[in-house]
Amino acid sequence: MSSDRQGAVGHGAVGQSVLRREDDYLLRGQGRFVDDLPAPINTLHLAFVLSPYAHARILSIDVSEARALDGVVDVLTGPDLAALVKPIAAQIELPGYHLNSRNVLAVDEVRFAGEAVAVVVAESHYLAEDGIELVQVDYEPLPVVVKIDEATDPAAPQVNPTVPGNVYYEGRFKTDGVAAGFDAAAHVISEDFRSNRVTAVPIEPRGCLAVPEQAGNLVFYSSTQIHHLLRTALAEFLDVSESTLRVVVPDVGGGFGIKAALYPEEFVCAALALRLRQPVKWIQDRYGALLTDVHARDNRYRVEAAVDDHGIVLALKAEIRTNGGAYSALPFGCTLETTGGARMIVGPYRIEEYEYTATAVATHTAPVLAYRGVAQPVCFMAIEGIMDRIARRLELDPAEVRLRNMVPTSELPWTNVVGVRYDTGSFIESLNQAMEMAKYDEFRARQATQGRLVDGKYRGIGICSFTEVSGTGAPGWRARGLTRLPGFDSGTVKVEPTGKVTAFVSHAHSGQGHFTTFAQVVADELGARLEDVTVFEGDTAAGPYGTNTFASRSAVTGGGALVRASEKARLKLARIAAFMLESTPEDIVVSDGQMYVAGVPSRALSFQEVAETAYAMNTFDLPEGESFGIEETDFYDPPLVTMANATHIAQVAVDAGDGTVDIEGYTVVHDCGRIINPMIVDGQVMGGVAQGIGEALMEEFVYDPDGQVRTATLADYLLPSSVDVPNFQIAHIESPSIDAVGGFKGVGEGGVIGAVPALVNAVADALFDLDVNVNTKPLRPALLSGLIREAGG
Amino acid sequence: MTDEYQVKVTVNGRIRESRVEARWLLADYLRHDLGLTGTHIGCEQGVCGACTVLLDGRTARSCLHFAVAVDGSDIRTVEDLADLDELHPIQEMFHRKHALQCGFCTPGFLLTTVELLERNADPDEATIRETLMNNVCRCTGYANIVDAVAEAAVELRRGHRA
Repeated sequence: MSSDRQGAVGHGAVGQSVLRREDDYLLRGQGRFVDDLPAPINTLHLAFVLSPYAHARILSIDVSEARALDGVVDVLTGPDLAALVKPIAAQIELPGYHLNSRNVLAVDEVRFAGEAVAVVVAESHYLAEDGIELVQVDYEPLPVVVKIDEATDPAAPQVNPTVPGNVYYEGRFKTDGVAAGFDAAAHVISEDFRSNRVTAVPIEPRGCLAVPEQAGNLVFYSSTQIHHLLRTALAEFLDVSESTLRVVVPDVGGGFGIKAALYPEEFVCAALALRLRQPVKWIQDRYGALLTDVHARDNRYRVEAAVDDHGIVLALKAEIRTNGGAYSALPFGCTLETTGGARMIVGPYRIEEYEYTATAVATHTAPVLAYRGVAQPVCFMAIEGIMDRIARRLELDPAEVRLRNMVPTSELPWTNVVGVRYDTGSFIESLNQAMEMAKYDEFRARQATQGRLVDGKYRGIGICSFTEVSGTGAPGWRARGLTRLPGFDSGTVKVEPTGKVTAFVSHAHSGQGHFTTFAQVVADELGARLEDVTVFEGDTAAGPYGTNTFASRSAVTGGGALVRASEKARLKLARIAAFMLESTPEDIVVSDGQMYVAGVPSRALSFQEVAETAYAMNTFDLPEGESFGIEETDFYDPPLVTMANATHIAQVAVDAGDGTVDIEGYTVVHDCGRIINPMIVDGQVMGGVAQGIGEALMEEFVYDPDGQVRTATLADYLLPSSVDVPNFQIAHIESPSIDAVGGFKGVGEGGVIGAVPALVNAVADALFDLDVNVNTKPLRPALLSGLIREAGG
Repeated sequence: MTDEYQVKVTVNGRIRESRVEARWLLADYLRHDLGLTGTHIGCEQGVCGACTVLLDGRTARSCLHFAVAVDGSDIRTVEDLADLDELHPIQEMFHRKHALQCGFCTPGFLLTTVELLERNADPDEATIRETLMNNVCRCTGYANIVDAVAEAAVELRRGHRA
């Protein structure tokens, strides 16, 4: 037995659809979401006064009436909070980035509808709400710019004093052969794609509870995905010792990226708890959520492809504009979508000559940051839309164009034009398998014989083949200017005196099933029984630092860290067992909670027997040089990125009369490397697709020209329901990562990334005969029925 | 402080008498007065269905009712479904079919399902999907919930308690 694999592992917990440990308590209604936590009886409650204007000067704020209300403890405005919290700013180190900061409550000027101008502190939530009705704010409305195209108009009002011309950032990239590619092209295919502004809408709104404890320490409970980053930011901007802060993440009712932002309310809540020396709680309402949660996808992509006679892309140009909103939000900054789309658009294709201009602009709208898929649903809508346009121009099948341009598995590892390495993958295989499952050829044959319009419905099929960035490490963040974002995560594995296993990981779940999946990883790598492993996370006091849970990280970074920590713990178990069994560590097998000399399983020691030696709870001495206990920690910083891939195929029927879209078939072939729990992977994919259906077909923030949000209730901002989302066919290809420890790749975002382009392409295919241009979303009935009517269909 | 009124309701089989403010929502009463925090508040706009309870046997949005207005009613919340040892068959099927992820919307879906299966022991998929429009889930994509409801119907028809 080789020493590096000492102790046989691989009991097969990884790879099994183990049912979730989280379910029992959640199903019983015993989840502990932040508003469910028992708050101390003297807890104060916050409510924020939100600006009704998108851009206005604050002339005065009269808080006297609110402050006089029985039960209201205090009312604070921007200058009051500025004395407690420094201006917050996302520090991005990119040439051409203009740093801008905001006060946690607006001072002098508001820059988007919903920006908080005052906070009421009261003895109950109801009284705090009463208080905000009594705060009198005198505003002088100022000119407003909301649209991405208008932001850089010389006549546009300046959004932020440190962002000249409303350009937060402009980045450029160009390879040497772009011009030659266009010179050599038989065809130039170009399109202008536009994407709707959306947000995640987790069903649990945001919230936090700050509880001062002994010695001036603060325990801060927050519905966040990034507890360590939040703690560091609280320390930095409140100017308190990080050591006195503990951030705890209770159950979180969905995050999807929007809870991976650092929000003003969190700083206000913590600052007031410290200032007032009393527990302070804030629970967001849905109106506030839709106005102030970070938005996403308000993007425009102008793409030009130089193509030869065979449909091969010789060179690509992309002009990308993203609307960053009124402030560059923390911690990732308004360039997140900008650099993301620019770097990811080449996807699974062999595009070696590439030029981009990527711009983030400022407008009087809600700040923009991460929402599941970040940039990828839009950049793949663009490149996959281009693939379909190449097919139409050259009269090729869209699948064929993709197959001709894809990097074949035999050429992996492959480093793409912006320097991202694809270590393993299955681009062609996933497309072929998805076509087979979706009966793609039969569908095309039916279209050829029957036409697309049958029984009053236009039927079409759409493909999206894509790469999915996951598990980004520090080098990946640095490449995008996020030098303050670490990349690594940590894991600690303890074998307790009774032989039970406790694992800590620097992640925080919001529905992903970490208590189950991470236990599977630890059980296999340690050689423990699955039922003996218990996982804890989401508490800065319970384990070492990490970068936390967003951007499809947890399987890669948490899984990798736990693999490494488990191995260290297993080696220590083996050393002690060898001592007890008078053997050598290299000969010890660790399996199923037992240790024995290879070939002699009848003389096995249990974890408990070995642990008792480690904890000096029997008469054995520890081997020479061995420390007490079995508690091992390790860190894992993944490569630049860990690249997953997939193909989605959507079949749709567009009603010729009213333009409604029915999804008649949906197929996914996904490759996230080594799968920990197929059931949970499928759940991630299906949930992501459902969000993609919302983004492609119905969800949209509508701002009027004055910057008012016309969709600030869930009756106006439409979410997919059970009749909008179809049943799925899902299959997996497993191409384990050879770069990432454990072989895992992320899966959290693939569903939405693939769904948006596949649906847009399917609708475009359905309307092929009408010669209409489908280059925007959401594809609501009004838009499609209009296109159909105009085309005389 | 607004006026308070005496309210007497039966919640999960227990008679509860409280003084509540006139404007106190049923959801807040259940959560903060009775400690039944399994009923979640997702929108307070009557759209998402996370706060769904059974009010005299019918699903109701507890964010759209005042506690005083349900005086005399019989209320059932998610906490009433399981016993100490076993989950309710509907809950058990949600578990087996992976019909929940974050679990925040789940109590509402469970009570919608209880009402459906009490009225229709053998719903087809279209009926299940139309009924579940009562609730929004942002995690699962619904397919596993639809499956869980269909399988729970089978289990209940086999004679488990409703």
